[in-house]
Amino acid sequence: MNHKLKKLITSWRVIVLFVFIVISLVAIHPTLSKGVAIRNILANSPASDAGIPQPKPTTLPVSRERIISINNVPISNVDDYYNYISKLSPNRTIQVKTTKSIYKLTTREKFETVELNETEEKEIQETIQKNTTINGTTQIINETIAKTIVVPKTRQVSQGTEDLGFRIYDAPTTNIRKGLDLQGGTRVLLQPEVKLNSYDLSILIDNMKERLNVYGLSDIVIRDAGDLSGNQYIVVEIAGATEEELKDLLAKQGKFEAKIGNKTVFRGGQDIVYVARSANEAGIDPNSGCGASGSQWFCRFRFAITITQYAAQRQADATKDLAVVYDSTTRRSDYLSDKIEFYLDDKKVDELNIGSDLKGQAVTQIAISGSGVGNNQQEAVFNSLQNMKRLQTILITGSLPVKLNIVKTDAISPVLGEGFVSNAMLMSLLAILSVAIVLGIRYRKLIIAIPILITMLSEVIILLGVAAFIGWNIDLAAIAGILVAIGTGVDDQIVITDETLKGETSNVYNWKEKVKRAFVIIMLAYATVVVAMIPLIFAGAGLLKGFAITTIIGVTIGVFITRPAYSTFVEIMLK
Amino acid sequence: MEQQPQQKKSIKHILFEIYDKKYKKLLIIPFLILLFSLAQISYQIYSTGDFIKRDVSLKGGVTVTIPLDKNVNIVQAQKQIAQQFPKNDVIVRSLRSTGTNVGVIVEADIDGTNKVQVQNLLSAISTSLSIDLSKINYGIEIIGSSLGASFFRESLIALAVAFLFMGLVVLIYFRTFVPSVAVIVAAFSDIVFSLAMINIMGVRVGTAGIAAFLMLIGYSVDTDILLTVRVLKRREGTVMDRIISSIKTGMTETMTAMVAVLVAMFVTQSEVIRQIMIILFVGLIADIFNTWIQNVGLLRMHIEKKAKKGIII
Repeated sequence: MNHKLKKLITSWRVIVLFVFIVISLVAIHPTLSKGVAIRNILANSPASDAGIPQPKPTTLPVSRERIISINNVPISNVDDYYNYISKLSPNRTIQVKTTKSIYKLTTREKFETVELNETEEKEIQETIQKNTTINGTTQIINETIAKTIVVPKTRQVSQGTEDLGFRIYDAPTTNIRKGLDLQGGTRVLLQPEVKLNSYDLSILIDNMKERLNVYGLSDIVIRDAGDLSGNQYIVVEIAGATEEELKDLLAKQGKFEAKIGNKTVFRGGQDIVYVARSANEAGIDPNSGCGASGSQWFCRFRFAITITQYAAQRQADATKDLAVVYDSTTRRSDYLSDKIEFYLDDKKVDELNIGSDLKGQAVTQIAISGSGVGNNQQEAVFNSLQNMKRLQTILITGSLPVKLNIVKTDAISPVLGEGFVSNAMLMSLLAILSVAIVLGIRYRKLIIAIPILITMLSEVIILLGVAAFIGWNIDLAAIAGILVAIGTGVDDQIVITDETLKGETSNVYNWKEKVKRAFVIIMLAYATVVVAMIPLIFAGAGLLKGFAITTIIGVTIGVFITRPAYSTFVEIMLK
Repeated sequence: MEQQPQQKKSIKHILFEIYDKKYKKLLIIPFLILLFSLAQISYQIYSTGDFIKRDVSLKGGVTVTIPLDKNVNIVQAQKQIAQQFPKNDVIVRSLRSTGTNVGVIVEADIDGTNKVQVQNLLSAISTSLSIDLSKINYGIEIIGSSLGASFFRESLIALAVAFLFMGLVVLIYFRTFVPSVAVIVAAFSDIVFSLAMINIMGVRVGTAGIAAFLMLIGYSVDTDILLTVRVLKRREGTVMDRIISSIKTGMTETMTAMVAVLVAMFVTQSEVIRQIMIILFVGLIADIFNTWIQNVGLLRMHIEKKAKKGIII
């Protein structure tokens, strides 16, 4: 027995399984973390002024910065946090201790301006542009004049203390990210500015889905809604997005235009063939990079796009009549007299000089640029990459057919209920146990039932480890995929056991041959399931995709990691 | 006393005889069931315009948003409202803003333009939450499906392609047409039978149910591939011996799955999990006759046809 055990734990297949379990546990990283995790820091809030960095979305859940105490009062959950800050009065300095550092924040008073029923006269300074003739030539000059206007009287009403600017959630205990239906998320009620017919509404919803998908937020539910008085709404439920991101992505129409002179050369969406998003084609511009200006930092980003031939021709038409500008300081003629200007929702975001060699040329490759601002270099880099991502999303998806107004945003509890996860865990344990009992009865050998039990558990651990490692959301579809993987895993172990034990009396085949025969069945069933899942990945909706991908990952882990280990076990222990 | 086991053995013997010799006639059973299932689904489409009974997440319905600053036991509220609305599907969820409860949302699959039904829902909500709705500024919205309109069309296309791919893999491995068709037909029959049974039982299907129907593909394939490999690729014993050995292994597979499903069904407090488990249970039952009668019958007919041409498997 001892000899067999030694042989077992030195077998490379068992070692591989063991290594995978250890790596998975490290990836899942179960912890008893204290405090509340920071999801987001609002811009221009006491928190951002204190220099608390914006958390990166790629940070692993358990390594996120967490608030441990405020003014030495321990904060252990979301309720503690809100209880404590509700008692704060304005203009006080508080000490926020996080897992990374200690910050000093100054609370501010929140005012609301209320218009009174009276009016008052107010003198203001206004700058106007004026054509005058100086020395015989007409020029535009600025002139400042004083003007008296009538405005409603206002009063500043104190609304208590301003929000500190933290968006927080209970600290995660593992690196497994839970999906919208398990964790809950944000529910946003949007109202289209113009009433849409059902066809336009479905286009709008598809466009919003695509936009959020390109942005990397795939865990979304978008539904149309209307009230009894005929108002039209769109309800979005989303996990893992901050309020600001949602406002930028959903409430803004995202109309992108590139203009030369006053002519529109191309627009986001239909005029764009390709948007470069790989790391070496898109990112912070290596030529201009980042720089400080006063207390603010600026970074420039750039990425390449390909526009349609038709749009390129419009660009050629717009540039062919422009003059080449001679720059007296550099003594070179590098640029054309007009710039290419980028407008987002009718607001200019950036402008670029056009090289003189592009005059009248129909080029389809265009460089797009823009910038981001922050309190420090890190924040400026983060913000400009965020702006870049948004611009890319808009260029790919085009603009929404109408502008949407955010009516309200709330955090919503998960559709599956709060106790779902712990209930599902208990249930899985009992189910796994009952499978082991059935197998114990069938084979009348504990030495078969127990390893199958261990294999099932290790498959669950490795699958969750992979999910934590790649940042995959565990939601209902993923749980279904895990159940398929575990279920077919048990099937395969039964095949291995039957194929190897059955031939004991006949001894026609040697042991290796028997295992090989079992694996023929296993591999064919594996191949059949995997090819059946592939079309489901491309079926668009998130439900099918999540199910298919988890199933494929799950059965692959089973076939290549746990199945070989189990067959080695059977070979060593039962031979 | 000694005749009892004798008789029992003979019944077993007769059953075996039928299974062995009359496999072509037995084929009528799974195909009749398949026909019946398709008829049920057609009837369902004809009478309701839909092939399943969708729950509120798939169908949409009415959402009542109630601003509330007190803590509400969501689970209890959902149970109470559902009790007063036995014919409909109800989901209650809480709304929070900056850490405090700001309200609850009740979703129900009732017709939003039917004033009586809406009124009934509102009174059910006010009694279960013990609040007076006339003093609260609640909102009623009629809400659409959580899966887009194109979801079912897209999934059906994806499923058709999935079945085709499965058949192709089997075809490439065995290089004969019949086994691949048999595997596709078996998986298809499993899903269709479960759909029909779920409809008859009146279970409302949500996103979880759809996932469960897809899970049946995986479980169905396991037994069918086991059978096909053992019958077509193995040489020991007669064809019948190989079928019997496949049944032993395959029924162990199905039994473990069924026990796990039953345990889960009785232990869980979650309606969603119960829905998944009911669908899986029905699917596993379907898989028994679709593998061991339908697939076996088709394979044996295939072998017989080959034998007539002088090819012995």
